[in-house]
Amino acid sequence: MKRSADVVIIGAGVTGAALAYELARRGIHDVMILERRFPCAGATGRCGGGIRQQFTTPHNIRLAMESVKRYEVLSEELGVDIEFIQGGYLILAETREETEALCKAVALQNDLGLPSTLLTPEEAKRVFPLLDETVIVGATYCPTDGHANPFRVVKGYLHRAREHGVSVEKFTQVIGLEVKGERIVEVRTSRGNISPGVVVNAAGAWSREVARMAGVELPNEPVRHEIAITEPVKFFMEVMVISIHNGIYFSQTKEGQIIGGIGDPEERPGYNITSSLKFLRNFARELLRYAPALGQLSVLRQWAGLYDVTPDAQPVLGPTPGLENFIQANGYSGHGFMIAPAVARHLADHIEKGVRSEILDKLSLERFKEEIRGEAFVVG
Amino acid sequence: MRLERHPILEFVRGKRITFTFDGESIEAYEGETIAAALHAAGIRVLSRTRSGAPRGLFCAIGKCSSCLMTVDGIPNVRTCVTPIREGMVVESQRGPGKLNPVFRHRPHEAVCKEAEVVIVGAGPAGLSAAKVLLNHGIRPLVLDENPHLGGQLIKQTHKFFGSRAERAGTRGFSIADELVEEIEGEAEILRQARVLGLYCEDGRRVLAVAHAEKLLLVAAKDLVVATGAQERFLLFPGNHLPGVYGAGAVQTLMNVYGVKPGERALMVGAGNVGLIVSYQLLQAGVEVDAVVEAMPEIGGYHVHAAKIRRLGVPILTSHTVVRALGKERVEGAMIAQIDGKFEPIPGTERELAVDLICLAVGLNPSTRLLEQAGAQMGYVPELGGRVPLHSPLMETTVPGVYVAGDCAGIGEASTAMLEGELAAFSLLAKKRFEVREKIALVQRSLEKLRRGPFGERPRTGKEKVFTLMKEVAVG
Repeated sequence: MKRSADVVIIGAGVTGAALAYELARRGIHDVMILERRFPCAGATGRCGGGIRQQFTTPHNIRLAMESVKRYEVLSEELGVDIEFIQGGYLILAETREETEALCKAVALQNDLGLPSTLLTPEEAKRVFPLLDETVIVGATYCPTDGHANPFRVVKGYLHRAREHGVSVEKFTQVIGLEVKGERIVEVRTSRGNISPGVVVNAAGAWSREVARMAGVELPNEPVRHEIAITEPVKFFMEVMVISIHNGIYFSQTKEGQIIGGIGDPEERPGYNITSSLKFLRNFARELLRYAPALGQLSVLRQWAGLYDVTPDAQPVLGPTPGLENFIQANGYSGHGFMIAPAVARHLADHIEKGVRSEILDKLSLERFKEEIRGEAFVVG
Repeated sequence: MRLERHPILEFVRGKRITFTFDGESIEAYEGETIAAALHAAGIRVLSRTRSGAPRGLFCAIGKCSSCLMTVDGIPNVRTCVTPIREGMVVESQRGPGKLNPVFRHRPHEAVCKEAEVVIVGAGPAGLSAAKVLLNHGIRPLVLDENPHLGGQLIKQTHKFFGSRAERAGTRGFSIADELVEEIEGEAEILRQARVLGLYCEDGRRVLAVAHAEKLLLVAAKDLVVATGAQERFLLFPGNHLPGVYGAGAVQTLMNVYGVKPGERALMVGAGNVGLIVSYQLLQAGVEVDAVVEAMPEIGGYHVHAAKIRRLGVPILTSHTVVRALGKERVEGAMIAQIDGKFEPIPGTERELAVDLICLAVGLNPSTRLLEQAGAQMGYVPELGGRVPLHSPLMETTVPGVYVAGDCAGIGEASTAMLEGELAAFSLLAKKRFEVREKIALVQRSLEKLRRGPFGERPRTGKEKVFTLMKEVAVG
């Protein structure tokens, strides 16, 4: 293992992998990714793979729109079929209030150039024929949303990054960050120490712990989210369906399996990722309420992962106040896979040229000093 | 083709019924599975992969997914464990089946119940555990996903060895009948009950079970897991062809359903299973061209080897199957001699005109439920791979969860029965029953079974498991 690197990225999830690739493409090849376990061992490898742009804050919408542009060309660029299916996202609402919230969101999204539209229940059924339209009041649809296979995305990014000389150190745990003055001067790992140029904290739900090693306090909290996958059937649904009523989401993988999850408002922060019967029953019940035909499918597996949740459900990005070479890339609150390709470009530009885009400015750690207005559409 | 005459077995068939396969009307008997009925009608290709390669039966006990078909409009049905019914519409698939868009599920409430002890798997281990518990006044709930109780015993036509206590001289299927008789009416038994998982809910241990199209939630204090094993596969070109069967599947077809699995067979593996099933094939009127064994020595008992040799079946050691021939089904097999590194020796290849390649190359413990329940596992090759760590008294690292039989490490049925008893006694000891002498007795019998050169592998394997278990307990 090398003893120094221009950029040390902590975490080989989609953020770390995308950033390494974007840096390498800009000619910054002396990059190391330190991964406590193996690529995709954390939230990336446990997520549903959704890529949505229909958000309620301008930053999330912009990052997601930028990201979709990347996903559209990524298979070709990386030389790996990332199984991107651009079948749109259908968002369901069951009450008047929820429909009004969708209405407001669509207005903002349209202002920013996103082609999302409001649908009646009947129109929603045309988009997703298995839908029992009688249980919903309204819906929105954005045809350019989609989903992809997270493992393939990371595989593609890492493959290209490695070709440019990026090293991926698996089973290498960061155990300390030594700070001198306004810089991190050493990254201590379970396999030896590294002297870094820049350190990027892309450790997902463990970012808070990593930041603490450098004396930095993040407002992030890990929250378990559970997920399940069924047996495969012939591909029949391009669209991904979510509901702001109960926080369910589901889509069909290219292989044909239905994958999805549902949020649990009672879930308390913590690192527990065991699977529960409560989730499975709740997910099955709500899934079949919207699409009764899915009742013929058997569940193959269930598992859980951790959202890295911030107070405004928006990521923490960019340099850390008081530590000039410590960059945050975490706090995605369940949307990391959706926006990582865009985030990686903003951060790579920053590392390369020292520029700080407006989004990095707005989403920096400093914002939590002020009053917070956050993302409203968090599902799963 | 159905067997009408058999030297040992008598086939009592149910009512004659009719079903359709891809539109064609086929006759069958009630009590058969869909796959057995199709096989009896000469249909070997059950479905196809996405790329069009044919798929047939392989394991016949619901564990391998090679027999998935669309039944009455529902995709991906395991036809090897689904009973055939009058008027059923059975269709082959190409890749995964098609979702039935007009299907409407019937919402239902989960059925909740409590059980002092739940036994998962009603094979020799599970049934033996149930009997011991009943003798001590505990009424266990016994769950099995198959339509028949008795596990793999129901297809064993050979007489068992050992002592009288171990039912020596009795044929396997009769032992199954005896064991079932001993608990039927006493224990609560659910057939075709598929255990989905073991969960912890509000501090209680809850077993989720799919039964009769309902979700059954069983709050279980203690659990004996006796889920058995699944057959190993072997890598060689053509191994996907219908006609390449696990030895257990061949036994199921001919000994349970009385369906002839083929006309001429190649047996791969000369362990006890390979030798015994070769003899059973001969009893069912199937020719056995050869038994090939990759190791330089025969693995099974010599008494079994001698029996088939007397009937003219060559046992070729240091030989293996290198290729299955045929396009839509097995039409032949290429075998070859192998060197010390298990590589085929050029020039020794031989073609056999068989329509059946039977794999008897070992078993892997079926441990998914245990892994899901959080039991710590260890890799112990002597016991068939990943096994749940357990104490000499069969308790796993999850308190109150006991194991017995093949899922605790591959052995044979006599061991499974003793382990089932041991798990039950061990559980009773925790409940303050005075069973110390019984435990010592069962442990002595187990030791006796694991003596001698044939007992070396399981003996070494179990010692490894107990050592690993101790290390976990110490931390």
